[in-house]
Amino acid sequence: MDLLFLPFMQRALLSGILLAGCLAALGVFATVRRLSFFGEGIAHASLAGIALALLAGLAPLPVALAWALCFGYGIYQLERRTDIASDTLIGILFTSSLALGVILMRYTKGYQPELVSYLFGSILSVRWSDIILLAVCALVTAWWLHRFTRALILSSLNEDMAQISGVRLEPLRLSLYLALSITVVLGVKVLGVVLVSALLILPPATARVISKSFQQFQWRSVFLAEATVLIGMVASYKLDWPTGATIVLTGSLFFFFLTALFGKKS
Amino acid sequence: MRARFQKIAETKALFVEKAAVCLGDISVLEDITFAVEPKSICAIIGPNGSGKTTLMKAMLGLIPFTSGGVLFFGKSKEEWGGTVGYVAQRFSFDRTFPLTVKELLVLSCGKTCTHGHIQEKLQEVGLPITLLHARLGTLSGGQLQRVLIAQALARNPDILFLDEPSTGIDTTGEQTIYSILKHLNRTHGTTILFISHDIGVVSDVVDQVICVNRRLLCEGPPKKTLTDATLSELYGSAGGSRLEHGERHLQWMNPKRPHHHS
Repeated sequence: MDLLFLPFMQRALLSGILLAGCLAALGVFATVRRLSFFGEGIAHASLAGIALALLAGLAPLPVALAWALCFGYGIYQLERRTDIASDTLIGILFTSSLALGVILMRYTKGYQPELVSYLFGSILSVRWSDIILLAVCALVTAWWLHRFTRALILSSLNEDMAQISGVRLEPLRLSLYLALSITVVLGVKVLGVVLVSALLILPPATARVISKSFQQFQWRSVFLAEATVLIGMVASYKLDWPTGATIVLTGSLFFFFLTALFGKKS
Repeated sequence: MRARFQKIAETKALFVEKAAVCLGDISVLEDITFAVEPKSICAIIGPNGSGKTTLMKAMLGLIPFTSGGVLFFGKSKEEWGGTVGYVAQRFSFDRTFPLTVKELLVLSCGKTCTHGHIQEKLQEVGLPITLLHARLGTLSGGQLQRVLIAQALARNPDILFLDEPSTGIDTTGEQTIYSILKHLNRTHGTTILFISHDIGVVSDVVDQVICVNRRLLCEGPPKKTLTDATLSELYGSAGGSRLEHGERHLQWMNPKRPHHHS
């Protein structure tokens, strides 16, 4: 219990709880719409934004956010205007952006601890300003999901059915891409480019195995994500393991254990 | 002339006028004009690739018309303000999608939906209410098709569109689906427009048939419209045998009906 009295741990727990809720709630739709690779792409692409900010002497997070929003919008437009498969587009754009980030890093002088922290995450160094940003993101995400859950479920199930029911597919898809972009980049600060998409994919993938209805799927995703973060952080503190990696491994353990119990192919 | 068209259109549930659809550079439909009476059952028939599904999707606003268009009781779909239901030919979805029948029906009918309303819709299509908690992916083809009809009915549509509603269903299931449609039409006065390949069913169920093969070939009451000549024109040399098959099918469905080809 002593860890709860450490200020850095309090901030880390709070940021982890907020981030886990946002990523899992959006991850439900990312997984049913087969957008798991989108989260991975956004995370890696944001590296160019971070490198650009460090090179220009700017705060990395706002630049990475702007970069990720451009990435999300770019994917959306290319999907609309070309016949190229979505995963191919994401692969092309994210590797290009990653390559740009690597080249930009070549021009940053000296050792860049911030760059390393964005690569592997630094949940223990989260500041109150980051938590405020995460809280705002969580509130907006909660409002957006409450407002558009019906449209998101119907359009994920069948687009024609959704359109007949009055869903405007294009604005909805764009807003989902932008919401995913923002949340993933905020997660990069906490879990790092390499690990952030795990929280987007693992809890919904696990929840899907043990859910019979969509309502169960949504709530169990969020619950599993929160449990993953809390157990992972405590384990990391006790075992003195890297926090981000321990959180991801905790999520993986949940997934493999519950899939082995309940995930038989029907 | 335009005013006369408008007056006619206002009395019709659907009025398609000089409609054409191009997909890319390919002209799929051209110069299609027909009207559907309110509270009637109407079938669109035609060979594979004749543009039936495209026509239905264009009427629903899922595909744009290149020229012409459709009026719902004399108005555009937006101005009309009524509701439509739609059951697609192939409802492609991820069978592992964790959605129950009840959740689908609630999503379809919106916030005003009550549990009683959902139960009523499920019972209307002949399904037990115990199925409400079943996952969509666990349903059989026939059950899924009926659930899809129930979801299309959930918003109490004025006009119901169905694209080959009996696809992938056995003959008994097919009969049940058409009985449900007739029941809905009689009890609620729902205008029903469906696509079918089964001439026998069309002859027996509908008030009006529309024959399409990229353009409108014929339309009218089935007994007058579905002649050897029109079916041959519609389906080529296979038309005659289709009618024969249709008659046989009718004979099977309704033994009292005289069998012309025996």
